[in-house]
Amino acid sequence: MPGPDVTTAVYERTPPVWTGPGAPGRYFDLLHNLVTRAIKQRYKRSVLGFAWTMLNPLLTMVILSVVFSAVFGTLVPNYPLFVIIGLLAWNLFSLGSSQGLASVVDSGSLIRKVAVPKEMFPLAAVGANLVNFVFSLAPLLLMIFVMRVDITWAVLWVPYGVLLISLFTLGVALALATLNVFFRDVRYFYEAALLAWFYGTPIFYPIDVLSPNARMILQWNPMYVLVEVFRTPVYAGTAPNFWTVIVATVEAVGMAAIGWKIFRRHQARFVDYI
Amino acid sequence: MPHDSALTRIAVDGLSVRYDLQLERVISVREYAIRRLRGERFPTQTLWPLRDISFRVQAGESFGIVGRNGAGKSTLLKVIAGIVPPTMGRVEVRGNLSPLLELGAGFDMELTGRENIQLYGTLLGLRRRHLRDRIDAIADFAELTAFIDVPLKNYSSGMVARLAFAIATDSDPEILLVDEVLSVGDAPFQRKCEARLASFQERGVTVILVTHSLDLLLETCTRALLLEPGMPCVVGSAQEISTRYAERTGT
Repeated sequence: MPGPDVTTAVYERTPPVWTGPGAPGRYFDLLHNLVTRAIKQRYKRSVLGFAWTMLNPLLTMVILSVVFSAVFGTLVPNYPLFVIIGLLAWNLFSLGSSQGLASVVDSGSLIRKVAVPKEMFPLAAVGANLVNFVFSLAPLLLMIFVMRVDITWAVLWVPYGVLLISLFTLGVALALATLNVFFRDVRYFYEAALLAWFYGTPIFYPIDVLSPNARMILQWNPMYVLVEVFRTPVYAGTAPNFWTVIVATVEAVGMAAIGWKIFRRHQARFVDYI
Repeated sequence: MPHDSALTRIAVDGLSVRYDLQLERVISVREYAIRRLRGERFPTQTLWPLRDISFRVQAGESFGIVGRNGAGKSTLLKVIAGIVPPTMGRVEVRGNLSPLLELGAGFDMELTGRENIQLYGTLLGLRRRHLRDRIDAIADFAELTAFIDVPLKNYSSGMVARLAFAIATDSDPEILLVDEVLSVGDAPFQRKCEARLASFQERGVTVILVTHSLDLLLETCTRALLLEPGMPCVVGSAQEISTRYAERTGT
């Protein structure tokens, strides 16, 4: 009889990697180290290093503000602030999902040689961008200070918004990472799709400028509500609309569940295709 | 650590593994869509590197796997290690398993030795805390204490292999999978590896060894499995298996 400390793994069709009472800690430690590595890799190569995380959204914001202030500046008070909040949310999603997409194929040699839980790679890509996102809040705080915007209790919604965006991003990353194992051009399709998606999400324009028909279509863009949950508490200082929160929660949790399902169903075959 | 000798550590029942090799690999959505529209097929060639393999390994036993190149030895180890899923049959592994296959596959050449101990260790399922406490001992065993903060890209291949062996054997495994990695490093380091392996055996660790060397098989293993392409697998004492293998290969 195996004692209670004996970890038993039964491999039938899908090999479980780590089981037993110590497993959650092992997964957590691996995730921690993979995220640390991703962050180190990102900053080792650039001269500006860490400062770049904070400069990048600021620069994009400046460009978008200069270009679009004339159009949207009168409609949207504190337009630069509006833009940077949306941008930070968008970057969390777009960088996390596109790096997550590539993460499994990029770790191919590892997956063929070590019994590693494969979902850790997309998870680490999203996690690294989440850490990055936290640092990129510094320019946002700077803007809030410079523009003298009041912070209200509604700001407590921010972590929830970030959680939802991360969950949605993870779901997309898991689904696309799976597809990318079988078809290597998925990442090029996705790059193009992301660009269209960016323009189809109210990041640098308010939804009011759209025609009623366009607004109807926008209801089907999950990123619209997800950005709202994060933006409203900071930008307007009020809690996000109740239904917006409900829809965003359903979409984020739903996408995470779908992505997870797709990934788990196909992951056993990855080793043959990588 | 107690090792119950009556315990079955590894049970393999009717294991078969099939590889579907796509003859012409379709790796883009575009190509896939075009060929689908044209009604073309995607020819695959089916390979069975392992067919109907069954054996059991008891706790504390040293079990050898022999066979010629292409007989499926590496595939079998990969299935036991949980890298390749069984197509049919069942594999049960009881206890912590430490694989010494493809040493250093998880290394990141840009990172230092110290950072790689952390990364590779957690890839193998070791805890960060444990690794932090063990870094000095691991570096010492690998004879790399002076180079532990140097990026791996500046290591020689022997140094990399030594570090990998030191990390992989630093955990307290109950099962050790060994794929002829004892040819790591120079002669003194090889002796160190063999000594560490022997100490594992003395402590009752179950060892599964894949080898071409019948001398090593007879020296380390009590029982063994012979794999031959297209033939049923044979399990027997190390002596029997080595005789049989020698007959088959005509040596």
